[in-house]
Amino acid sequence: MISPHLRFEGFDARSWTNLLSLFAPGLRDRVEGDPADTDAPEIDLREARSEVAEGTLVIVRADDGRILRALHTTRGRVRDLAYDGPQDLERVARAYAARRALELREGVLDELAETLAQRLERTDDYATQWLVLARIIRELTSSGKIHAWPRPVDDVPIPTSGMVRRALDIVLPDEHALVVVLWEDGAPWTAVALRRRDGAVDLAAGPDLIFRWTGPLGGDWRRDHRVVADAVARAVAPVHVGLFAEASQIRALLRDPDPGAWARAVAVRDIIVHPTPPYVAVALGADAARAVARTTSRWLGGFDALKPLAPFASYVRGRVGEVGSITALLGFDPLRALARSLAERPVRDPQPPAK
Amino acid sequence: MPGPRASERPRAVRARGPVDQPPRALRVDLRDRALRVGTRSVPLLSGAVHYWRLERSAWRPALESLVRLGLPIVETYVPWGVHETGPGELDFGRRDARKDLGAFLDLAHELGLLAFVRPGPHINAELTFFGLPERIVYDPACQARSPKGSPVYLFFPPVMFPVPSYASARFHQEVGAWFDAVGEIVAPRLWPEGPVALLQVDNEASFYFRDGAYCQDYHPDALAGWHAFLADRYGSVEALNTAHRAAYPAFEGCAAPVRFDAQSPEALTLHLDWAAYHEALIAGALGKMRARMERAGMEGVPFVHNLPLGDGGLPLSVPGLEEVAELVGFDYYHGRREHRTIKRRTLYLAGTARIPYAPELGVGAPPWFTPLAHADSLYCALCALAFGLRGFNLYMLVDRDRWYGAPIDAAGAARPEADAWRVLVGRLVEVGFHRLERRAEVALVVPREYQRLSRATNLLGPISPATVEAIGGTPVDGCRDDDLGFAGPVQTLWFRMLARFADALTDAGIPYVYVDGDADPARLADHRVLITPSYEYASTERWQRVCDAAREGSTLVYGPTMPALDAEMLPHAFEVPRRGRRVLIDTAADAARVVAELAEALELARPFRATPTLLETTVHEDEHGPRVLFVVNAEKHALDGEVALPGPLDFVDAFSGERLSGDTTLRLRVPAQTVRMLLVDAPDAAPTQTPTPTPRAARPRARRTSGGKGGAS
Repeated sequence: MISPHLRFEGFDARSWTNLLSLFAPGLRDRVEGDPADTDAPEIDLREARSEVAEGTLVIVRADDGRILRALHTTRGRVRDLAYDGPQDLERVARAYAARRALELREGVLDELAETLAQRLERTDDYATQWLVLARIIRELTSSGKIHAWPRPVDDVPIPTSGMVRRALDIVLPDEHALVVVLWEDGAPWTAVALRRRDGAVDLAAGPDLIFRWTGPLGGDWRRDHRVVADAVARAVAPVHVGLFAEASQIRALLRDPDPGAWARAVAVRDIIVHPTPPYVAVALGADAARAVARTTSRWLGGFDALKPLAPFASYVRGRVGEVGSITALLGFDPLRALARSLAERPVRDPQPPAK
Repeated sequence: MPGPRASERPRAVRARGPVDQPPRALRVDLRDRALRVGTRSVPLLSGAVHYWRLERSAWRPALESLVRLGLPIVETYVPWGVHETGPGELDFGRRDARKDLGAFLDLAHELGLLAFVRPGPHINAELTFFGLPERIVYDPACQARSPKGSPVYLFFPPVMFPVPSYASARFHQEVGAWFDAVGEIVAPRLWPEGPVALLQVDNEASFYFRDGAYCQDYHPDALAGWHAFLADRYGSVEALNTAHRAAYPAFEGCAAPVRFDAQSPEALTLHLDWAAYHEALIAGALGKMRARMERAGMEGVPFVHNLPLGDGGLPLSVPGLEEVAELVGFDYYHGRREHRTIKRRTLYLAGTARIPYAPELGVGAPPWFTPLAHADSLYCALCALAFGLRGFNLYMLVDRDRWYGAPIDAAGAARPEADAWRVLVGRLVEVGFHRLERRAEVALVVPREYQRLSRATNLLGPISPATVEAIGGTPVDGCRDDDLGFAGPVQTLWFRMLARFADALTDAGIPYVYVDGDADPARLADHRVLITPSYEYASTERWQRVCDAAREGSTLVYGPTMPALDAEMLPHAFEVPRRGRRVLIDTAADAARVVAELAEALELARPFRATPTLLETTVHEDEHGPRVLFVVNAEKHALDGEVALPGPLDFVDAFSGERLSGDTTLRLRVPAQTVRMLLVDAPDAAPTQTPTPTPRAARPRARRTSGGKGGAS
């Protein structure tokens, strides 16, 4: 699914950081955080009280329960930790101003690396390798060698690589491209075009390339999106799906657990999906349309949003049988899982990195 | 007992001693911290261009852009995995014109450039399999082995792969054939016949970032090497048995440890030996590779090796590697918030390395690192220069796949960011920055024997001390806290003690450097004060070196314990150092008190001290006195400050051209997370380190075009 020959080009620091920060909201904290005030930082309970929660508290214990090491990943060594075991993780995380806490049994990371080495196959691609790794982590967690707090995606089943491949077949079929362009205040904020070839994503092209392909744009993204999609189609491959929006809209949607949120945003053109492949249409299906109706009706003083959506809903009903549901294929709804994962991180006003 | 008074001190700026000399006769060599090429002295300033990743038509514009930046050297890797099109089949341009290494080097020569060539075998360069052919990494005979005999995987994108064994005879054999092929292209193009003036052996040799003490290498050839190492170290099985408290029938009876299980000092020797073997294994492998390059005709020019981020936890030391390569440096990929890391690493190079040099100074970054903006790269470069870096290779100067932020695009056109680099390179060349000295009277001596213990006691397995440090922690963050039978956890305490002193010296405005415990003793002689942690055990060699330095006049600060056991945990009568001061450093206040006492007793210099103390200054001088003053603001807000001057001085900001001056005080503003590089105007008349004020009227007024008293920006 990810080609070992993956090409990555056409980004600059700003556009790449912006793209990553959508899915890793802590990234900006890491990049723009305060410089350390000592070469050997340490923290104790009293000092932690005045700190903002960040980083991970890592506790390594011996088989007999002794604490061998306690470490805050951004504030250094933890002095004099009082800890009663896995049920105490949440308390110590909060006490030491950590976003997360991990308890590791001594030697568990060696075991993880060894098991991974035994299970990996030469033909595995990077995505498959990470699925193997995730499965091993889950096993070690189940056996009590790793404890974590919080566990936002604990109930999300880990799909097989076959399941992910079939889902990817729907999202981005072979010899097709997927393009995402996000704007902020009328200017491109980040963009990426992915291409799938021979079953794997082999190109990630950034805004420098994409806007070289498009030439000068008009400045209204709701009109420019067609130019972008056409240019990517000419330069890379036929575009299977394109997503165009203001960055703030996408940041909010990625955190929204409401399954109708995306459909609502499409309906009111807060985001534009162009072209709209069948799976997107299905995802924006009847239930979501009803959610649109509820909200738009409220917004629009009783105007029936279902009526203008009727042709769309009819189209959806007609295509449901043609494509599988990504949720059914994977065993979970990836957008909902992502929303839950991101929900703990509030949306920050974007601060573009200094040039 | 205090050392000599300030007036009696020898000047720190002096001709470099024998440690500055390369170990063998070379047609190109290193002198005065530059390349000596014929009669020319060429600063170690270069930029990376990956010929095979560019269209052939972009080579000339890219190299011309590099020339316009003022860089005299082009650097390139030579990727084995790209040139090898099938087992034993190599394409150097016959089929794919972009792979014509010879033509690329010829073009560089035509444009008057020198070339720095790095044929691996490991190159990383964000290439799949780190630039190695797939058949090599999947050849079981070439693979490093885990304690259970499994391959050892590296987790980097775009695909995890099993890393090669530095001990594998098969791997070295394959590498030799690769070097033979590269040698056919490179050897005829060595200077003066061609541009090649620097060669690198391998790359970031840290076991492919799987350098945890028990991650590898249990390859049969590595285990044979382990036994040979023990035989060499101990001479007899009896001596080994005494050290290990064991009864092995032969060296082969000593099994390599597979995890840390020591509970007492006596049980540590096996693990410390294993950690030392890691160092010997890497250094030996690099030595073998270099010899193979030389056999392939790639010889007569200085060899380079680069250490990655996280050097504080690596199984390698600069002094150890300088026995293999003439020029050993650190790679720098740091954001502005990593000010302390940049400073610590550079001060180590300044105190330890033959030439403080960055074989890779990140300009932009690969997509799988923490993002770096242009301002980060520039801050990193200036901060490193401020603390003593004398040369660098801008990596990547020209854009390419799996990279962003290069100042020259893939078509060879300069981007706006290139201008800052052009100015910086111009200023460095103009002032002969590589020849300047930064005076440091204090050295923090890094104890390698305790560093080895830190590696052995890391609890995070594949997240090795080097990895922890590379991602923003310290090399002891993952170490267990038990005391192992000592008074405290030596494996973490040594680092904390050095850090406390580093903080205290910084606060006091006293320049210092780090000297590796394995460094040439001449390095220690450069300093009036040596500070080194000592616990119940110590390396007898290191201890002797610091005692020798104390006998020669340096003041030695050590502690908290006078060692009584050698590195094999056997009783040893350690010399009590002359001019010794034993200290117990637990808190920052302890270190500050000791530093204050030393500063007063020894009248330690605090040149160009700044207020507020959040501003750091460094001064670089030649025989005429100060030439460059750096004022560093690592904070996230601008600072208005004052810098105490030894006498009236005029400065020119290297970037803005703003003129500043002061009689006894320089007032200036330093924007947030910025380094101001101020060139001393009229250097011939500038006062020397001894603060003898020179009347401003005595200097040519014509050089001052503006700038009132204390011209703040």
